[in-house]
Amino acid sequence: MKITEQDLKNISLLSKIKIDEETSDSLIKDLESILTMVNKMDELDTSNINPLTHPIENTQTLREDIEKKDIEREKLQELSKEKDSGFYLTPKVIE
Amino acid sequence: MSELINLSLTDQILGLSDKSFSSKEITGAYLNEIKKKKSLNCFISVFEEESEEKALIADKNIAKNKARPLEGIPIAHKDIFCIKNKKTTCGSKMLSNFISPYSSEVFSKLDTAGAITIGKTNMDEFAMGSSNETSFYGNVLNPINEKLSPGGSSGGSAAAVRANLCSFATATDTGGSIRQPASFCGVTGIKPTYGRVSRWGMIAFASSLDQAGIIAKNAKDAAIALKYMSGFDQKDSTSLNEEVKDLQKEVDADQEHIIGIPKELIEKIKNDQVRDSFNNAISILEKDGAKIEEINLPHIEYSLPAYYVIAPAECSANLARYDGIRFGHRSESVSSLEDLYVNSRTEGFGREVKNRIFIGTFCLSAGYYDAFYNKALKIRNLIKGDFDEAFKKVSSIAMPTCSNSSFELGSINDPVEMYEQDIYTIPANLAGLPALSIPSGTSDEMPIGLQLIGNYLEEGRILNLANKFQKLTNFHEFK
Repeated sequence: MKITEQDLKNISLLSKIKIDEETSDSLIKDLESILTMVNKMDELDTSNINPLTHPIENTQTLREDIEKKDIEREKLQELSKEKDSGFYLTPKVIE
Repeated sequence: MSELINLSLTDQILGLSDKSFSSKEITGAYLNEIKKKKSLNCFISVFEEESEEKALIADKNIAKNKARPLEGIPIAHKDIFCIKNKKTTCGSKMLSNFISPYSSEVFSKLDTAGAITIGKTNMDEFAMGSSNETSFYGNVLNPINEKLSPGGSSGGSAAAVRANLCSFATATDTGGSIRQPASFCGVTGIKPTYGRVSRWGMIAFASSLDQAGIIAKNAKDAAIALKYMSGFDQKDSTSLNEEVKDLQKEVDADQEHIIGIPKELIEKIKNDQVRDSFNNAISILEKDGAKIEEINLPHIEYSLPAYYVIAPAECSANLARYDGIRFGHRSESVSSLEDLYVNSRTEGFGREVKNRIFIGTFCLSAGYYDAFYNKALKIRNLIKGDFDEAFKKVSSIAMPTCSNSSFELGSINDPVEMYEQDIYTIPANLAGLPALSIPSGTSDEMPIGLQLIGNYLEEGRILNLANKFQKLTNFHEFK
């Protein structure tokens, strides 16, 4: 399977990870080799098979909707480099 | 005191309870050994003072006859499990400064059972790798031959157990990350049924495949450790609300076994030593009374391609949370919000993690979703069906853990060649089945693993079979 420069640009945009020009050739080679291996799936006719998203069905258990205070906001926000008065700070997004 | 670290968990529990030695002595002995073998790079963090303090408390509990089941036993956690107020890096630059505000259920359960966390083990970045070479903290060395890989992603845990740096270690397995390193280091590793052990506080890679387990010296030790780690957890919505069986009892029980052998797959094994070791192991078990049945797993060869769509797809979604804002690495060179996202992620993730995010993003993107992701999920269903059919007539399935013994560090550069390391271990993850690896021979003086796969929630049965094998052989013994 061929990966084009345009594919690479799309993947980079969607995943929010920069791909520099120096590594793009070797990256294309890696991705093509992985996708060629993956294409073996095409040998199988799966038209009448249902997709299985999860190995064990019926495991989505619900719990009582009771408020808990396991982790405090302040404690969580200590992990962020930039915060103020309970808000997370990012570069300005509106003019 | 160095003989204390060679003892099995079973003997350590016994020795502590009859006061042949103290937790202070055994903890001190492990801490010394960790210092002596620092160059193996097994640990990302070591908690020396805290372990010593906890050992004193454990000794007091034992003296007062108030010992908990794992009281005073020094263990290690893979650095993928959050521990409150401790650095939890997942082997990544992205989390190199992450101090967890809460503890994983795996840690809490073993801590409540009295185990002492002596440190956190090195691993492939975000558990993505089969050689431990993707860790931001450098690769781990295989204690048997330091030029070779310990396997991955739980290479630090497997090497730490093999090098006698802890009594047992926790680990995780998404496509073979417990069993392959256990095989490479000549130790015992088990991945239980999906949902048997809570994923709460275990950093996510591919949520429908990730499962926590144990790496230990032998099957009996693994059974004891797993027993205290398992159980329903309300905080994990995929946790199984099923009774936890007494694995400690079951591992030694008198059980009959019918072992399924996927003959076609075995015949295709290229490495003679791996094939011979497998056949030898099966004949040992057969002579001991196990029945052997040929089985077919017709879709198993499609496991690798299906896995390398599903795992990266789930990885790309899970790792979207690392945005540089709330926690994790935040880039300094930023002038817009887009820069913040892109630069933080580009600087924070290593090459292999990026590769997997790219593959996952591609497979989930418009126009490719059906051809890749949906197709892979359908194949997953076929593979699960193969196992369901096989387990109608057998109680466990045997195959090698890996198609080779350990390889030289730096020798595999092609990603697909590296992914093929997990060719025999991936099927159990896709189906959510319990599976373990035990040493069953050697190839070029390095261990080879035998893999046993069980039916849902039948960890006890494969541990029982593994224990039988270990009573009949000495491949698992080391000093």
